[in-house]
Amino acid sequence: MTTTQFLFSGWDWNPVMAVFCLGALLNYFVVFRIVNWRRVGLFLLAVLLFVIAICSPLNTLARNYLFSAHMAQHLLLLLVVPALWLLGLPRQTPTPLPQEAAAGKTPITSRRVVLSWTAGVGAMWLWHLPALCNAAAGTPWVQQLQTVSLLAMGTLFWWPVLSPQRSRLLAPLAAVGYLFTACMACTLLGIYLTFSPVAVCAAYHHPQDPLGILPLIHQGWGLTPAVDQQLGGLLMWVPACLIYLSGVIGQLTRWYVGDQAEAASTFAAIAKPSHPGNT
Amino acid sequence: MNAPSSNALPLPHAATGQETGWLYGWITTVDHKRIGILYLLSAMVFFVIGGLEALLMRLQLARPNNSLLSPDFYNQMFTMHGTTMIFLVGMPMLIGFANYFVPLMIGARDMAFPRLNAMSVWLLIFGGVLLYFSFVTGGAPAVGWFAYAPLSEQAFSSSQGVNYWIASLLILGVGSIATAINLITTVVSLRAPGMTMRKLPLFVWMSFITAFLILFALPALNAAIVMLLMDRQLSSFFFGSFRGGSAILWQHFFWTFGHPEVYILALPAFGMISEVLPVFSRKPIFGYEFVATSGVVIALLSFGVWAHHMFAVGLGHMADAFFAASSMLIAIPTGVKIFNWIATMWGGSLRFTTAMLFAVAFLVHFTIGGLSGITFSAVPTNWQTTDTYYVVAHFHYVLIGGTLFGTYAGLYYWFPKMSGRMLSERLGKWHFWLAVISFDLTFFVQHILGLIGMPRRIYTYPDIPHWATLNMISTVGAVLMGVSVLVLLANIIWSLRHGQPAGDNPWKAWTLEWATTSPPPEHNFERVPPVRSRRPLWDLAHPENPDPPIAGKTAPESPYLEKNFVGMWSFILTEATFFIMLIIAFVYYTGSERNKNPHALADLNLQAASVFTVFLLLSSFTLWRAEKKLEQGRHKGFYVWLSATILLGLVFILGQGREYLGLFHRGVTFNNSLFASSFFTLTGFHGLHVCVGLMGLLIVLALGWAGDYKAGRTEAVRTLGLYWHFVDVVWIFVFTTVYLVGPRL
Repeated sequence: MTTTQFLFSGWDWNPVMAVFCLGALLNYFVVFRIVNWRRVGLFLLAVLLFVIAICSPLNTLARNYLFSAHMAQHLLLLLVVPALWLLGLPRQTPTPLPQEAAAGKTPITSRRVVLSWTAGVGAMWLWHLPALCNAAAGTPWVQQLQTVSLLAMGTLFWWPVLSPQRSRLLAPLAAVGYLFTACMACTLLGIYLTFSPVAVCAAYHHPQDPLGILPLIHQGWGLTPAVDQQLGGLLMWVPACLIYLSGVIGQLTRWYVGDQAEAASTFAAIAKPSHPGNT
Repeated sequence: MNAPSSNALPLPHAATGQETGWLYGWITTVDHKRIGILYLLSAMVFFVIGGLEALLMRLQLARPNNSLLSPDFYNQMFTMHGTTMIFLVGMPMLIGFANYFVPLMIGARDMAFPRLNAMSVWLLIFGGVLLYFSFVTGGAPAVGWFAYAPLSEQAFSSSQGVNYWIASLLILGVGSIATAINLITTVVSLRAPGMTMRKLPLFVWMSFITAFLILFALPALNAAIVMLLMDRQLSSFFFGSFRGGSAILWQHFFWTFGHPEVYILALPAFGMISEVLPVFSRKPIFGYEFVATSGVVIALLSFGVWAHHMFAVGLGHMADAFFAASSMLIAIPTGVKIFNWIATMWGGSLRFTTAMLFAVAFLVHFTIGGLSGITFSAVPTNWQTTDTYYVVAHFHYVLIGGTLFGTYAGLYYWFPKMSGRMLSERLGKWHFWLAVISFDLTFFVQHILGLIGMPRRIYTYPDIPHWATLNMISTVGAVLMGVSVLVLLANIIWSLRHGQPAGDNPWKAWTLEWATTSPPPEHNFERVPPVRSRRPLWDLAHPENPDPPIAGKTAPESPYLEKNFVGMWSFILTEATFFIMLIIAFVYYTGSERNKNPHALADLNLQAASVFTVFLLLSSFTLWRAEKKLEQGRHKGFYVWLSATILLGLVFILGQGREYLGLFHRGVTFNNSLFASSFFTLTGFHGLHVCVGLMGLLIVLALGWAGDYKAGRTEAVRTLGLYWHFVDVVWIFVFTTVYLVGPRL
């Protein structure tokens, strides 16, 4: 089989997925209508990438052949798709409860933040424990469980940063720390996977080869098991961190741009009484 | 928040000149301005020394087959030149300016921890003296500033030089980390009312980011040199490839530090440029937000690209490709900054003072250095140019054309504030033109030398066509650079005596440091002007046309912004990084040794360790109870729970001792396997932290008996509590790695 043949034949049109995606789209348009085309675009992109992660040849490779393909799928499902669909939801205007605003409370509890962070980073580490990684590569129901849990934990992870409820967002500078530490945690795992001399996920070292494309992968693409694991580690290390870094830039932008109207009114309130006479 | 501290002991009364003489006053000072000047003076002294070393090298290379210096002495020269310029000139120079101006620019009275600040500067001076003391012990280190193993191992560098290098760098590292903690805490906790983070002057922003870089980067160096020291003194072989260690891991650790270090040296200079360019263009900085944000982005990216220093090592094409891409990315935020600076000057009414000239020279030369830097991120080009004079030219364009010219701009800009007198503009122009011309003369030709094949770090070369001419040009340039430094020194000395009095604000600048006298009084400000925008002094001078105000709430009194709390958290972050490095080393060595030594971990006593782990974790619980009791004002309960904590900690330490003794009995000693070396290093450092925590707890107990907490000042307990809990959390990770994951690696 050549690469082109594989790219055409490797699709897996799963009816459950089709129903799920169509349902999600239908739900989106019914509930939110089309208010903002940019957000609709982001939501559509999320669905598209989800389909690519689950139905495309990437999935075939991830399930049977390549650790690096598994990693690409993992990153799409954990980091990219949840972030995009959260960004795709229309924003809600900030309406903090009066008593909350008066008490100056942070709108999101630290326990929720710790939970979210642990979910995001935990999903990364947990599914790369050798036992779980092998199980997911070999057993279909574990793989489905993995898909669902990655989406759920990814959503939980991005929630404090990208939630559509603006009043429940983490403060921007705290969000920078949140993302930076997550980046550190996944860098460490990436470094380990890249340089580890032992096979982290042994299933990929002795694949079943139901399609007979193993020679193509090893010789044609040059992805021997050792190179494959290195590539997987590098994917987790570099591109994953760039995703977090984009989040950091987004948070800093949110911080600097702020809510202009809110900022102006705050200023009017504090500036008037303290205007000094010494100018 | 505006008072310097809630619970600090009163600062010692600074001795005045009349009481004890000026020398005593300077030695005992805890004033951030004097400490800043001490930093700058030491940097200046070492700058002259490091410059002379460079001149010796250039004189040796002036002619082919020259024999002015012996090969070994030449190696010592380039090692000492590099180490000196990075650790004893670059960092102290920038830290010195940060020390002097960060508190002034945010309207604070001093740094957050003045005594810690004094400790840092004396550690710098002590570390510098120690490094140079190596000359009289039989030879300075001769292994290059990155001291690649195994050359730096005992077997190949048997003189004391490398030991002094390690000791000196450890001391300097501790001092730098202390300063970083101090700077972070100062910026977070001591800002004047109205000075929100969104209004911070860009120099403060960049120093703040630099402090975080120091916090996370220096521990990697410290871990590496501690391991190297053990190799040399306790005959382990972490990096000794001849006995099974890994020389590559040294490179990884070193460049994990080394690449962020480049930005530690560059970002503060970016900050200075961002202050100087707007003032002398009579325009606010263009795109403040972009300059600040790109600083954060550069800092974050800088931790992910160190492998581009190791393309020639053979990490594999896959790794090379990824790091080539991520290294190229750094050009984006840097380019954003350059365009912002150019746009700041665009259409402004430029005043070409010496400070401004140096700022413009910075833009030109740093861009050249940045562009040649991008050529290194392309792997095939990198292989051709690595370890040639092209590299030397590149990083001198960054570090002299960038950092040094930026600092010169800062010096001409701020000297009036520090001394009360202007630097002579006439001598300044001489200095500027000499510095720029001589610098380009010295280093531009080195690009060509590198491309036609001259390797770096060779003490002489045969008479190959063009090499002699180009090297001679470079040497002439270097001598002229020496002259330019003499002009600068003359200018400083002359201006200190005869310079024009500066007045408060000679440049009509806009940031807070210009709102006080020159030099500022010891308490900095009689009254901090109101801060409503990023240019408070502009608003004062032009009430009819003020800058658009920047909103944002000044944080209310929050226990999370209390300075001891912030300081301890910064300390915890840097310590955590140190332990992460040691854990990485343990995992790496235990995993790589498994084939040779499959039963290494069988000697560990998992059951006993689990029991003692419980003791340590219980101590966190008892300490939490003790803090609660103290909060409720029940002092007796506090003593009981605190004593219980100390006892539990002691039991843990005794348990560790028992484990060590058991291992010794079974013949597992520090130097007989990589597993043993990394085990003892990791758990030993943790044990050391437990001991330090115990001492702290004993001190807290003693202070409690003495009645220190009766008045409700309990920050010491809270702060030390954080440390103790941190040490316990580290143990959870160490225990998991060593006892649970280790056997499966």
